[in-house]
Amino acid sequence: MSINEKFTAIRKGLLEFLVLKIVASNKVYVADILGQLSETEFATQEGTLYPLLSKMRREELVDYEWKESEAGPPRKYYQLTAKGREQLRETSDYWQKISGTVKRLGQDPGEQTENSTPR
Amino acid sequence: MNKVIIINLNGIAYQLEENGYEALRRYLDTAARRLEGNPDKDEIIADIEQSIADKFRAVLGANKTVVVSKEVEDVIEEMGPVQDASSASDESAHSAAGAKDGPGPTASAGETPAPPKRLYRIREGAQVGGVCNGLAAYFNVDVTLVRIIFACMVLSGGVGIVLYLLMMMVIPWANTSAEKAAATGAPFTTEEFIRRAREGYYGGLKTFKDGRAFREWKWQFKQEMRQRKRDFQREFHKNAEQWRQNWHQHWAQSPHPHPGWWFAFPFLTLLSVLLTLLCVASILSLVVTGAVFGFFFPAGVHLWLGILILLVIFSMLTWPLKVMRHAYYSHCGYGPVYVGLHMWNSFAWLAFLVLVLWFADRHSLHAHEAIEHLRYAAHHVVDALRDWWNKPSPMP
Repeated sequence: MSINEKFTAIRKGLLEFLVLKIVASNKVYVADILGQLSETEFATQEGTLYPLLSKMRREELVDYEWKESEAGPPRKYYQLTAKGREQLRETSDYWQKISGTVKRLGQDPGEQTENSTPR
Repeated sequence: MNKVIIINLNGIAYQLEENGYEALRRYLDTAARRLEGNPDKDEIIADIEQSIADKFRAVLGANKTVVVSKEVEDVIEEMGPVQDASSASDESAHSAAGAKDGPGPTASAGETPAPPKRLYRIREGAQVGGVCNGLAAYFNVDVTLVRIIFACMVLSGGVGIVLYLLMMMVIPWANTSAEKAAATGAPFTTEEFIRRAREGYYGGLKTFKDGRAFREWKWQFKQEMRQRKRDFQREFHKNAEQWRQNWHQHWAQSPHPHPGWWFAFPFLTLLSVLLTLLCVASILSLVVTGAVFGFFFPAGVHLWLGILILLVIFSMLTWPLKVMRHAYYSHCGYGPVYVGLHMWNSFAWLAFLVLVLWFADRHSLHAHEAIEHLRYAAHHVVDALRDWWNKPSPMP
């Protein structure tokens, strides 16, 4: 089992977090999100992204508005809602905590106490 | 020259080659199936159709108005299989990995054909070894019917027991869900065969671009089919003819019995069949009601002993019939072989009786007492006979 396969579930779980981050920065449409993800380990496809976005919209994390485009029919542009921003902050905090734990565990005991006390 | 199908994606018409249309339809069908139960199903499908439409537009131009099959497949590949985000299925994890590693599983992978049917033993609702259950599922009949057939086979000579044990050893249990599906799955029926043949026929048909090669192939296909049909008919006729000849030969060789047998034989057969039925009915009556057609055995006679007594009575009743039938058989020239067989049968029956008696003596107190009593009774009878024999005759 390659590293890539082992982390499949983790990547999948993190996708929503990353989409929140991308949508937070700017009003985007689906091709933008795919484009930003395509260069990373989290590259995904429309088949996955559309159902995910619709789920997030149902949970009122994101919202969209129709906008005319230069070429072709109007597109859905996504943006975060207040609830979405709240969720993004909580998730970011939690992610900090997790990555801190990942770094800390297995280090020298002296170092460990030093790192774990502040917080 | 390829046929073109016009489709409507979110209000705009696109012309697709026929194969491409089929692939796209499969992809969207699979997507709709996977999103079953999702409240936003329609919206997601609309989004996906819109996205596909955008991609189609990118490949079309002023001088290119048709999306060819290859382009449709590329677009489907690019879209990736549709995963329902709210349901945590294994497939979604798989596709996330596939996106980075290269082309993921093709969208049409959701179309799995029904598994071929296989014979398994089925544990659910099994009485003994699940053989009848498995057979019933395999032939798609009621399990009770299979059990009755087996019971009849057991009663008429015990072939059923051997067959059952053999099947129990040979046929595996259906353990995994896939095996269970295969045990009850769609049977490979004639319709299925015809469907596949037709699919293959039309599949081959599509691959021909030029008409002459296609016609030649079609002609060959039909010839082949006709040849196969002729072969089968010839084989069938040959077998039937051989069977007929064998029969005639046998008939000519065997000496013809007295004409009276022509009436007697069916009558004897009918009588023995009736007696057999009567025996089975009386045993059933004994088992179910505890009495043979209302006649109770004396107290202390156990059920098994009652059955045994019934069997003995039955064999005594049919004894003359058997003798007559054997006379007929030996008359017709079956000869020593049949007599030998019958002797062996008698020995087997005797051995079985001894075995049952021994078993009963060992394991049932009632039977033991009855047998002891029988011994005393026998002694008594022998003594009485001796006394009678030794008694001085009144007339010297």
